[in-house]
Amino acid sequence: MSHDLDAALLQKTLAAALERGGIYADVFVEHRVSQSVRLQDSKIHEASVGITSGAGVRVVEGDRQGYAYTDDLSEKALLDAARVASLIARNGARIDSADLREIAVKPRYAVDANAQENGLGDLSTYVAFLGRIDVAGRAYDKRIETVNGAMIGEVQHVQIATSDGRLVRDTRPLIVLSAQIVARDQVRGFASYADGGRTSLSFYEKKTPEAIATEAARIAVMNAEAREAPAGEMPVVVGAGSGGVLLHEAVGHGLEGDFNREGTSLYSGRVGDRVASELVTIFDDGDIENERGSISVDDEGTPGQHKVLIERGVLRGYMLDTLNGRLMGSDSTGSGRRQNFRFLPIPRMCNTYMPPGESTLDEIIRSVDRGVYAKAFAGGQVDISRGDFVFMISEGYLIEGGKITAPIRGASLVGNGPAIMEKVVAVGSDAQLANGQYTCGKNGQMVPVGVGMPTVKISSLTVGGSALQ
Amino acid sequence: MSDAAALEIAERGLRSALAAGARDAEATCTIARRFSVRARDTEIDKLEQSTGRSLALRVFVGEPGKLRRAAFSTSDLTGDGIETIAKRVVEAAHHVAPDQFAGLPEASGSLEATNLEIDASDVAARPNDAKIDDALTLEREARAFDPRIDNSNGSYVADAQVTLGFANSNGARASYDSTNASMMAHPVGRDGDAKRTAYYSTSARAWKDCEQPTKVARRASSRILAMFGAAPIPSQKLPVIFERDVASAVLGDIFAAVSAANVAIDNSYLADKIGEKVGSDLVTIVDDGRLPRGMGTSPFDGEGVPTRRTVVFQNGVLKTHLFDTYYARKLGAQSTGNASGGGIGPNNFYLEPGTIGLEELIAQTKRGLLVLSIIGFATECATGTYSRGVSGILIEDGELRHAVDGVTIASNFLTGILPGIDALGNDLRYDSGITAPSFRVAEMTVSGE
Repeated sequence: MSHDLDAALLQKTLAAALERGGIYADVFVEHRVSQSVRLQDSKIHEASVGITSGAGVRVVEGDRQGYAYTDDLSEKALLDAARVASLIARNGARIDSADLREIAVKPRYAVDANAQENGLGDLSTYVAFLGRIDVAGRAYDKRIETVNGAMIGEVQHVQIATSDGRLVRDTRPLIVLSAQIVARDQVRGFASYADGGRTSLSFYEKKTPEAIATEAARIAVMNAEAREAPAGEMPVVVGAGSGGVLLHEAVGHGLEGDFNREGTSLYSGRVGDRVASELVTIFDDGDIENERGSISVDDEGTPGQHKVLIERGVLRGYMLDTLNGRLMGSDSTGSGRRQNFRFLPIPRMCNTYMPPGESTLDEIIRSVDRGVYAKAFAGGQVDISRGDFVFMISEGYLIEGGKITAPIRGASLVGNGPAIMEKVVAVGSDAQLANGQYTCGKNGQMVPVGVGMPTVKISSLTVGGSALQ
Repeated sequence: MSDAAALEIAERGLRSALAAGARDAEATCTIARRFSVRARDTEIDKLEQSTGRSLALRVFVGEPGKLRRAAFSTSDLTGDGIETIAKRVVEAAHHVAPDQFAGLPEASGSLEATNLEIDASDVAARPNDAKIDDALTLEREARAFDPRIDNSNGSYVADAQVTLGFANSNGARASYDSTNASMMAHPVGRDGDAKRTAYYSTSARAWKDCEQPTKVARRASSRILAMFGAAPIPSQKLPVIFERDVASAVLGDIFAAVSAANVAIDNSYLADKIGEKVGSDLVTIVDDGRLPRGMGTSPFDGEGVPTRRTVVFQNGVLKTHLFDTYYARKLGAQSTGNASGGGIGPNNFYLEPGTIGLEELIAQTKRGLLVLSIIGFATECATGTYSRGVSGILIEDGELRHAVDGVTIASNFLTGILPGIDALGNDLRYDSGITAPSFRVAEMTVSGE
């Protein structure tokens, strides 16, 4: 790509980075183009274009990291950044950077060569998708009041050069089409639904704009009819797909390498221990074609991988970047990610999911006398030291006498990771990845992720509604 | 650093947009010199220092009264880079529907940054070594506070010097400098076999207005110790006191509901409540863009409209929503100077404080829950439904009794929280764009065992 920096310049930058000492250095170069169109109140409201372009230089010595970035890609600016990053080093050892050699990458996503705008697609296609969202959303029900939407596409091209001689390139597409719909019955009902991934616009031939709008409209109307969620501990059936938010919060963050190397996670030092019910197996996988959380290589140049986090209840391993891997005596698992060139990489999840079990949804619902069916989730949050987490219902129902009955308003579910994972008493055969709409925030850095799950029954979980029994 | 560089880049962006065929355009350039350092135990383990630049443009094409708008942002500030993207964004605008409300604001008032005190000289003057010492002090003092504090997520010290340059095709030209400084301690303690963590931070425009590192570290560690032995309580209705920092998070949900961007699409429980008394007499909420030394203070908003002081709630009556120029025209109001990053944002949005300290507030609460931390973020803005995971301390007979975690609190802003605010603390600090003193809500549902 024309935005790549010359290998000789990268080599020179790495040499400058290691001038004062240090054991490792890398340069991360990024050129990202994004475009979006927004629909508001049935009209195309605004279009936008964005460029994120720059480079960051890192110097590592022991567990210490120095970092500097620049949006100016001139030799002088890069060498200045390298010298600022090198201020962390003090061992004075003169390690020479190895000669850079290009490492081939197995691509996990194809950038559509036929599409215009560097693979982003033509804006008129975006406009057409949003028009279809509007028509389908309004047609769903006469109670639909407003239909809004957005289509966002980006292509991020990265170039990573390391002092151990690796030069890696990756080009990552990312698209998402969303609908936000308000319905009005006795009360307002709001819903947001989106789908996409690291793929091309042909994705929306299978998952049509009509399907996305209809799903948002269906949930909005349901929310306009919903009653208060109950309060208290009760059985909870977590829905297939977006229920994977549970895994991301209750377990995933606690298994990120930085927290475990630093001993701040409740899972620190517990590889090999039983930490969940035997029904629980959890993977994190960067190596799934076209998924939102997939990466051909991470932001340190390590290939995205399939990782076993928990196998039949036993903790198998952490998600590591190069720094935490080295300090813990392991290799990187391809989990070093960053929001953009202005940030140091840190261990992150990719697509986190649970493989299928043997129960059916009907069997699971029938087994609950009084509880909640939490079908879809808006997101969640966790305290990784204590393991307490919440995840927020975006579509939920009461279960009464083994049957799904009334819809309930949004509520938080609260639990403790290991305690809840011991209470997994049934796992459905209906495992699926959720729609591609989730973004994870950590240390102020946002990255796209995927989640997945079969229907799962948790014998007891605290439901944070306002209706006391 | 000089204002001139940012203003020059903004003017270059403006010229490129007009040359590419925009009828009107507006350009904002920010240049930020940032420093941050993290200490863990006795070492500095992250040190970052960079100067970042970015240019944001909004363009309007077509005929007045029927303008189409588009926006761009870029960190590629080479001459070719700006011209190329200016052409693309003007092309992109042709895909947008003509909109009678789109366009630049009318010129109005001075854009001078006088008497705002947002550019502190002690930020540039403070040497990196002093900031490194502060980070090491935070780490040392947090651990020295109690032997059970034996680990940390790191102690952070950061500051920034920012220059903003603004130009639009109505002839507005302005720039200003600002600074910010912050410190945070985030220790971990050992509560039997379990770990507990908490943080405390301070931020201000000037280093001299930040709290001292020793105090920051001790407050973080004392927050951990306060939670030792915590356990869930049975589900019940209780008065809830939100301690200052979590009170600010609640105010963030109120801001979302008064933002005209949500009101315009009917995604707000306050959409049709102007002039109504929806809160208790104690609810007076202000958005003030001109508060001296405020973290949300600036001479003008994101589209060059001078900032102002706007009373949003007066003794419980909703007086106004908050607007940028577009939504003001669309909803028949005046801009309140809240344009931010292409949307609507807070200036200094705060709940007016009361006269008693948090200790007195607790003493006046016979039975209730003092909330010290919140997790989760989804409030249904359309209906005001509120539900969060919380931890804190159960109050009995006006005294802190025992720590509580693993529970949720729930209510509704319209029917429970706003009318239920029945006591205010005096501990407001203006350490971010949205702030509140500690306050009490008469009753919420606590969901636990």
